[in-house]
Amino acid sequence: MFTRVMIASVLFAALFKGTPASAQWFKVMTPGIPRTADGKPNLSAPTPRGPDGKPSLNGIWQMNGKYLQNIAADMKPGDVPYQPWAEQLFKARQNGALGKTDPAARCIPGMPKLDALPYPFKIIETPGMVMMLFEGFTTFRQIFTDGRELPKDPNPTWFGYSVGKWEGDDWVVNTIGIRESTWLDNAGRPHSDALHLIERFQRHDFGHMDIRLTIDDPKAYTKPWTVKEDLRLIPDTELLEYVCVENEKDYGHLAGK
Amino acid sequence: MHSFRGITRILAAGGLLTCAAAAQWLNLKTPNVPRTADGKPNLTAPAPKLPDGKPDLSGIWDADRSYLVNLAKDLKPEAVQMQPWAAAIYKERAAGLHASEEPDANCLPQGVPKIDAAPVPWKLIQMPNEVVILYEAFTQFRQIHMDGRKLPVDPNPIWLGYSVGHWDGDTLVVESNGFNGKAWLDQSGHPATEKLKVTEKFHRKDFGHMDLEITIDDPGAYTKPWTVKESPTLAADTELLEFVCSENEQDIKHMVRKK
Repeated sequence: MFTRVMIASVLFAALFKGTPASAQWFKVMTPGIPRTADGKPNLSAPTPRGPDGKPSLNGIWQMNGKYLQNIAADMKPGDVPYQPWAEQLFKARQNGALGKTDPAARCIPGMPKLDALPYPFKIIETPGMVMMLFEGFTTFRQIFTDGRELPKDPNPTWFGYSVGKWEGDDWVVNTIGIRESTWLDNAGRPHSDALHLIERFQRHDFGHMDIRLTIDDPKAYTKPWTVKEDLRLIPDTELLEYVCVENEKDYGHLAGK
Repeated sequence: MHSFRGITRILAAGGLLTCAAAAQWLNLKTPNVPRTADGKPNLTAPAPKLPDGKPDLSGIWDADRSYLVNLAKDLKPEAVQMQPWAAAIYKERAAGLHASEEPDANCLPQGVPKIDAAPVPWKLIQMPNEVVILYEAFTQFRQIHMDGRKLPVDPNPIWLGYSVGHWDGDTLVVESNGFNGKAWLDQSGHPATEKLKVTEKFHRKDFGHMDLEITIDDPGAYTKPWTVKESPTLAADTELLEFVCSENEQDIKHMVRKK
């Protein structure tokens, strides 16, 4: 019953360690899911679409876990266009040497790692705003789709400020104003206060979605670079409660000041 | 621009205290808000209704923080009949002897119903099968399932519980169980146990005013249920801020610790 949590705990022993959660209607059948003759979810059924013809992104999703550890997992060595200081800092952080300086180690969630947590998130589309409810940290993002512009001089936050719009069948989310102390991945790739994230959500069929994530940060990287992260729909389940700071014992064992 | 945040800091000095946040479109006009001739939100306009005739409770609501310190402030003492152990711990907590143990002073979730009275607002989003409440407090959320499912029979205890809702006329009735019994019901320290059941009745009286009736039913801590009524008000033309409790938290070490 708790396989998801147990696997997650093992995989992420180094970071994001908190007390995971409990069963909330773990086996309630998700309505509206196409099913095969034996009642199993048909995850290769066509992408559902809303009344406007656009893909619906609603559902509980989980990202391939490798991108949390290494956002550049699919890139060749040398393909990440670091500025010299960024490469130096990345190398200093590798192998956990500065584990304590990752805000997530102090139970502070942040973008873009939030999307890549080993716990699912739920997308709920509403008029003017799309919510992402994250099991990890029991927290949320609001992505505004009411046409507002990104703020000009945002106060930096851990999640940043996000607006979304459709480009064909891609839902494109632009985010700025992210605190520069967040890490792009557990390996420790840095960014600056100039970070502009572009998430391109592409739902290919009922059960599969990609996020093409572009890191546009001229202070830390010499040019924008893009990774493709794959997600799968998790049917017939529900988010659990995850409280990072509860009985947290990990931070004291991490390296760094 | 941040004046309400300043007030909040002062009000919240007992618990819920942490580094607050940043301006996210704080002055953007909320659409579909009825306005008076001078452009101000008309908070006494009728409550909005959905095509099915149900009230639409959606919006950003300023919590009725007057109940944060003492949830039972409007009740006569005999209305809140505590079990002996509960009376004993409440007496010590109310005297401040356990201040450092208050869970949200340690950045743990406030629990229900304390989070409803947090010194920062919450945003209710009403949908046919689910109501979501996004709490600025610690940037947390609750899901209230409206799809007819029953409360779990033997839930694993958690901080914010399991919630299902249904309509009783124009009132949204939310029932919750599965609490871990660790949260305090208020800053004075009214205790709860894993037997806690909370019923929240949300009734939007007009555009800007909500009645929130809360019943505490916890035979582990109280000999009979007791009920209070909070009054959240709509916060138009603003947005939730980001609120990360564990960022640079410096308060807990100054709080009283029982030896």
